[in-house]
Amino acid sequence: MWPPPYRAFFEWVATLPGSLYLREDAPSFFGTFLTLHVLSMCLFLGLVFMMDLRLVGVAHLETPVSEVQRRLFPWQLLGAIIMTISGSILFYAQPVLYWGKGFFWVKMLVMPLAIANLLVFHFTTYRSVAEWDNAPSPPFAAKLAGILSIVLWVAVLAFGRLVAYDWWTIVENVQ
Amino acid sequence: MLQPFFKWMESLAVYRSSIYLGPGVNLVHLVSMVTFMGALLMVDLRLLGTGLTNHSVKQVTRTAQPWLIGGLIGLALTGIPAMMATATQQYASNVFWAKMYILFTAVIFTFTVRRKVTQADEAHVSRVWSKVVALISIGLWLSVAAGGRLIMYL
Repeated sequence: MWPPPYRAFFEWVATLPGSLYLREDAPSFFGTFLTLHVLSMCLFLGLVFMMDLRLVGVAHLETPVSEVQRRLFPWQLLGAIIMTISGSILFYAQPVLYWGKGFFWVKMLVMPLAIANLLVFHFTTYRSVAEWDNAPSPPFAAKLAGILSIVLWVAVLAFGRLVAYDWWTIVENVQ
Repeated sequence: MLQPFFKWMESLAVYRSSIYLGPGVNLVHLVSMVTFMGALLMVDLRLLGTGLTNHSVKQVTRTAQPWLIGGLIGLALTGIPAMMATATQQYASNVFWAKMYILFTAVIFTFTVRRKVTQADEAHVSRVWSKVVALISIGLWLSVAAGGRLIMYL
């Protein structure tokens, strides 16, 4: 699996007009979109953590679980949208760089797990929320979803940050 | 004036024992930041009239506060060594100093004006003032986060 597959695809993305423009004519794109990525992460992940802590049963215990979920969701979604757009632009500008980054691939494998965890929780355990909405300590399945959410999203954050270092990298002369 | 002090901090080479120390400290800094910002935004959104509106500002603040303080302590404990490791570079960076001035302002604001508004009885605080305080708080802390990110790029 190393070097990673699909190199031709990443090279093709790099030839697209917007990609070329960002890479060669817009030197400030990286700092700009990386900052946007980090700020939207504060909104998304910060509020996801707050909800997870309620699910685990350690914070906001006076508030029903469904209320925390419903009221924070629009803001989590806004954060997720800005993160996705800024992240996609960062990738679009330097696809071959990310192709050669081991931690980028790991991040892209862990992220679907984090999303799967929230979907599974939402369509199974959360369906019975009315029964335990006010309980300071939600059922085990809910706590597990909350812990998994924190662990998996911290992993996504950590692997994303590790992309910035030289470790596990194929250095390319040509983009 | 402070240059010798910054040179001395860098000479301590706080990360010398392991190449994993820098990235590790950085990661804890980011997780602390996310926790801090989550607790901050929950209360600020409530002040803006959204989020957990079935509860009073006071209630939301009380439940968010331990995570705000915990996050801030984590940020300080990791931010200080991260700064010391590259102290001369930080000293020379305008963005670093801008971040420090804004951080100083944000901390003072949070523990005076914002604290007063979040502890007060809502009947005694005008809605407009609550919203202004929330917007200033969000603006200050997002600027601190942006400053931290941009030290390397500006």
